Amino acid sequence: MSLNFSPVPFDLAAGFTHWLVIMVAVLALSFVLAIVISMLTLGFAGPVEVVVHSAGAFSDFLGTSPRRCLALTTLTFREAVRRKTLWVFAVFAVLFLFAGWFMSEATPDPDLQVKNYVSFVLRTINWLILPVVLLLACWGIPDDIKVRSLHTVVTKPVRRHEVVLGRIFGFAAIGGLVLVIMSAIGYVWINRQLPQAKGAQLIARVPVYGEINFLDNEGKPTKEGINVGDEVMFRSFIEGNTKARAIWNFSNLDPSRFEGQGRLVLESSFQSFRSHKGNIERQLMCQFTLINPKTKLRVPLKAFEVHEFRRNVYDVLAQNKTLQDEDGNSVELLKDIIQDGKLQVETACLSSAQYLGMAKPDLFVRLPDRSFAASYFKSITTIGLMMTMVVVLGVVSGCFVKGPVATMLTAFVVVVGKVAHSFLQSLVTGNVSYNPNVKMQGSGLFDSIYRIPTHLNPMVEIDNKLVGRVVSTLDNIELNALWAVQHMFPDFASFDTTEYVANGFDVPWAEALLPSLAITVGYCLPWILVGYFSLRLRELEAK
Amino acid sequence: MNHLTSQQRKWLYVAGIVVLLVPIIYLGMPPEPATARSGEISGGKLAELRLKDKLGESALGNVDPASSTMGLLLLGFRGIATSILWMDWQDQQRNKDWAALRATTESIILLQPHFLKVWHYQGWNLAYNVSAEWDAVADRYYWVKEGIKFFKKGRERNDKYAELYWYVGDTTGKKIGRSDEWKQFRRFYRSDPDVARFEGRPDPEVNPNGRDNYLEARDWFQRANETIDSSGNLEHIMAIYLFRAYPMRAEFDYAGTMQREGIFDEVCIEAWKTAFDDWTTKYGIMEFDCPIGSIHFEVTGDELDQMIAEEDAQNLTERDRKSYWIGNYQNQTNYRFWRLKSRVESEKEMAEAHREMYEGEQALHRADTAVARKLLWDGMSKYEKILEEYSDLKKEDETIDEALLALHGWRECVELDDEEIPDAYPLKEFWDLNPKRRETAKEEFNRRRRGR
Repeated sequence: MSLNFSPVPFDLAAGFTHWLVIMVAVLALSFVLAIVISMLTLGFAGPVEVVVHSAGAFSDFLGTSPRRCLALTTLTFREAVRRKTLWVFAVFAVLFLFAGWFMSEATPDPDLQVKNYVSFVLRTINWLILPVVLLLACWGIPDDIKVRSLHTVVTKPVRRHEVVLGRIFGFAAIGGLVLVIMSAIGYVWINRQLPQAKGAQLIARVPVYGEINFLDNEGKPTKEGINVGDEVMFRSFIEGNTKARAIWNFSNLDPSRFEGQGRLVLESSFQSFRSHKGNIERQLMCQFTLINPKTKLRVPLKAFEVHEFRRNVYDVLAQNKTLQDEDGNSVELLKDIIQDGKLQVETACLSSAQYLGMAKPDLFVRLPDRSFAASYFKSITTIGLMMTMVVVLGVVSGCFVKGPVATMLTAFVVVVGKVAHSFLQSLVTGNVSYNPNVKMQGSGLFDSIYRIPTHLNPMVEIDNKLVGRVVSTLDNIELNALWAVQHMFPDFASFDTTEYVANGFDVPWAEALLPSLAITVGYCLPWILVGYFSLRLRELEAK
Repeated sequence: MNHLTSQQRKWLYVAGIVVLLVPIIYLGMPPEPATARSGEISGGKLAELRLKDKLGESALGNVDPASSTMGLLLLGFRGIATSILWMDWQDQQRNKDWAALRATTESIILLQPHFLKVWHYQGWNLAYNVSAEWDAVADRYYWVKEGIKFFKKGRERNDKYAELYWYVGDTTGKKIGRSDEWKQFRRFYRSDPDVARFEGRPDPEVNPNGRDNYLEARDWFQRANETIDSSGNLEHIMAIYLFRAYPMRAEFDYAGTMQREGIFDEVCIEAWKTAFDDWTTKYGIMEFDCPIGSIHFEVTGDELDQMIAEEDAQNLTERDRKSYWIGNYQNQTNYRFWRLKSRVESEKEMAEAHREMYEGEQALHRADTAVARKLLWDGMSKYEKILEEYSDLKKEDETIDEALLALHGWRECVELDDEEIPDAYPLKEFWDLNPKRRETAKEEFNRRRRGR
């Protein structure tokens, strides 16, 4: 019942700097290209035109009128309603009416049941809302041009970017309305389907994660534990009754946020691996040792049985009447062990010749739970952000191509961003998507072209050093180009926060909401610029 | 056509529709639900053919509306959707995402409800692979149950496939009764560990009658045999003469497991008797095809003569050929062994011998040497006496192992009493003839002592 990935906090400053550099570079490149092309087509008047249009863009954006935008937004909203967009609710209702048919028999285990139902609702909303807003957004402006309603609009004192913004806000508003109603129905549906789970399973745990390090069987630091043969190497294992340890370093603990009066609750979800049958009626034993990183004071805690694939909640003060260091001296949790918000938790497997598997998210300090509703609606917010991106992309593509092409273009970007982004990333980085610890060999285009006819195994290095260098250089160029292509597609999968909610976690701000917001703003700003210039420079009579 | 008015054209269209409706109704009219169930032919030509050739979905088993809806909704994309689901399933198995895996399995069978191998593969995966991934025995049992329930569901959807009945029986018998956790699983089968849901009773979906797992398995194997007879569909798991033996094999397992659990009373003796009767009077008289015609296993010399006389009185080599094939098939099914074993085991003397050797070993593990020594000696003496009468059993592994275990126990008692092992003692020939197996038996003896 833990996450199968490590949530990484988004570094806003680094992300913003990165974005700014790329934006400036792309803008500069576009400006230079525009100058060159305009010179070739219009002569020396060309660059002047470019400068005039650029200056016009500045003045247009500075003179944005909220009233005009609002008017266009209202118009778009009404049009969308007239186009029977709200019929999507009928599909949604049918899905929920019959969902029981498909899901009731899946599993009676309450933990697993909650996960299935929550995933179903969030994924259904996700996949229903996107096609609706995609079609609306992509056909809006092309239809306006086709039926010439845009001609009437542009004769009014309306700036082109206000047309774009009005469309975006209008479609986003109707999408938002649909989303709000759908999510409310979904929330009620989950609560009605799982009435018995309300208390125990429908929760939003708030974890504080630490960084994980390992010690090997001899107690020496190592990058990771033992691989017991799992194909996915996200978790690694420590051997029981040896010096092997997994050590979590918590650096940002705030005892005032702990449960009750400074109660430290550790929650773990380790995997068990037996190298011999042992006593099958008992689970593997695990022991935590709390360490003060500054004073190196060590406080071993009472051992516990690991219930695999379940939540193992360990309330330190409830399960240890007194806390004693290794010399038997009584110590206080908040005074002697947690210092400046820092704490180390050392984990050992006590069962001889058996193994416990773990990764960073498998142990965390559990703060008081938040309500399930809060987590659920945060997840809906990320869906809303993704929907906004689809609206912006659809409207912008409708500014320079016709409806069907805009639809295909937007759908392509969404599908690649949602389904194939991790694949593209694995090609660029060489990391296998489901197994970041494994590097792909011979994945480059030219490398493969050389290896296939020569029957060279991907695990073997190319003998001929010259060929190897040439292949590697060409592949570097190609992979860099692919890197650029990859960044043209937003990572829509990162908007999917279903895993958090379905596993009973709160959707975190720094790890999930902030990156989604940053991606939305980061991509939408340049897209809106593209839409504005497309509409400003295009000939409206060209249907 | 251009000179026709709009109204004339419309009438023409109506006439065309009416004309086309005639063959459509003739071909495609659906059958009356009541007559379709009773097997009477009604409806259009296609419905008639479907019923006659048993091609309709209802002919295969219960129709699941969700599955049919999915099939219709996906139009021609069922294959693509199925492939995506299988890929998802693989990914979930790799990531140990059991909740999603279970849901995906359900989705797959919605799209492939009559694909026998899908049921087999997924049912096995739940009962064997997924269950083995969990550490707690109760959790493992939960997933074994999921596998059995899955097979049962498959059986409902495809009640003409004998294989699915067999899979239910096999998982109920073998997985519950022979895995590493067999002691716990057999206990859970009669009293589910999920006390909150079942209040100490068995899960009614897997054990509706609250019986022993092998008895439940026997009934499913029996239903598999009956399905072959009623549907005419062949099974594709193993040779038919092996397949047909499974209800009786479950009876042997039932009786044998009772002994393994230390039960040697009348119930156990009766179980062996029933198994013997069914083996010889039901399975033994079943007719099986072989290259020279039809044979059955329970056959005396006189019967063999009669069979040959009926077939060809002039063919002098026929007897040899017939007995060769009967012997051949008997070897494959271990017919003679089980016949002899069940017969011997249903004798009170044998049950007494087992009981004394078992209780002797238990007494030794309790360090009650005097009682252990006496019980073991008595049991070994009775065992030897029976084996003299049924000497064919002496070559069997089970017999040798049981004798060696008892001998290890008795010799330890003697040594603990500071006495020399006498020159003569019961079952001595087993000790002398199996020096290598003595070591293995010793390991097993020690393991059993530790496992107490």
